[in-house]
Amino acid sequence: MSEEHDHPDRPPAAATPEPEPEREPKAVATPESRPAAEPAPEPAAVPEPRPAPEPAATPAAKAVSAPEPGPQAPAAPEPAEPAAAAPSGRQRLLAGLWPPRLSRAQLTVAVLLFALGLGLAIQVRSTSDNSALRGARQEDLVRILTELDNRGQRLQDEKRGLENQRTQLETSSDQAAEALKQTRQKARELGVLAGTVAAQGPGITLTITDPHGGVEADTLLDTLQELRAAGAEAIQINDVRVVADTYFTQGADGVRIDGHKVTQPYRFKVIGSPQDLEPALNIPGGVVQTLEKQQATADVVRSQKIVVDALRPSEQPDYARSSR
Amino acid sequence: MIAVLGLVVGVVVGLVVRPVVPSGVEPYLPIAVVAALDAVFGGLRAMLDGIFDDKVFVVSFLSNVVVAALIVFLGDKLGVGAQLSTGVVVVLGIRIFSNAAAIRRHVFRA
Repeated sequence: MSEEHDHPDRPPAAATPEPEPEREPKAVATPESRPAAEPAPEPAAVPEPRPAPEPAATPAAKAVSAPEPGPQAPAAPEPAEPAAAAPSGRQRLLAGLWPPRLSRAQLTVAVLLFALGLGLAIQVRSTSDNSALRGARQEDLVRILTELDNRGQRLQDEKRGLENQRTQLETSSDQAAEALKQTRQKARELGVLAGTVAAQGPGITLTITDPHGGVEADTLLDTLQELRAAGAEAIQINDVRVVADTYFTQGADGVRIDGHKVTQPYRFKVIGSPQDLEPALNIPGGVVQTLEKQQATADVVRSQKIVVDALRPSEQPDYARSSR
Repeated sequence: MIAVLGLVVGVVVGLVVRPVVPSGVEPYLPIAVVAALDAVFGGLRAMLDGIFDDKVFVVSFLSNVVVAALIVFLGDKLGVGAQLSTGVVVVLGIRIFSNAAAIRRHVFRA
């Protein structure tokens, strides 16, 4: 960048006169050139020239300053005035770029531009990484954080349980017996899930009576899903244990569950938290209301002891073997 | 020339050293950079017009940055930070474009 104060001692600017011979005599007259050059210093007080003064000021300064180098050369010391010389913006730019001059203005501008470059680089750097969360809104960020917290909490609980097991295994006097105990415990838990062992606990009994035959397999499936969503842990419908791969079919002769024919009344024996299960069935528009619309009656009874004793045969896989 | 060198050195230092921005300043950095860009374009245009003054440039640079950061700060306090910083960027962008047009007229005479 250049500045006005070094114009007088700048050879390139003085050595580049613009060929406008007919203007030359006019510019020799100093009184005429002074006032014409004056508009320039005035906008210098403005930080950035506004669009309005620009078209007026630039041609005026150009027209007057162009012939200046010749006559001004003898009067070199006095034109320390801004806008005294400089033929065109392009030449001014080139002159400012080369040769490099060490002046106060150049140094201050360099310091400010250094700060700008630094800020630019830092900002570009910080924007280019972890961009997935950067654009997210505040509510989304809060939700993500909460989910992460919950997940961390669950994993902490699981870790604590496993550490307890390990401590018991390590400190128990009879390690083999302890391992056996834990394995049996685990097998029982998995057996309840797989339907190969009987289970008992608090829960509800749901009896669906359907004198008109309006209840079909899809309604029963909806009921089952509702119970599962409400936290049911073991379910039996009439004499069929319900597990993960249970299926419902609707045939001409009625509903079949896992291929077994079931007849009404359908009795759901469900183990789970009764205060969760019963409201889940009774919500407006829920299972009970749907059944009543199909002219069936649903009867929910809470109980502190429900026994789910229908079993599924445990099938040995033919080919797959445990790898441990 | 030295000024251009200053800009280049600034970018290089920023990329190489990877300074850590204090988290309190972080939201104001982008808007301050845009405001500084506006001041730089204004200064470049003033230089081409032959009315460049380093004192004016320094004052306009610093006041642009401070005012832009202040507006964002105020917007954050009032709960309209995003909208207000968008507005600041739009205004500064318009100014940058008009300055760039003036510079272009000087450099390319078109």
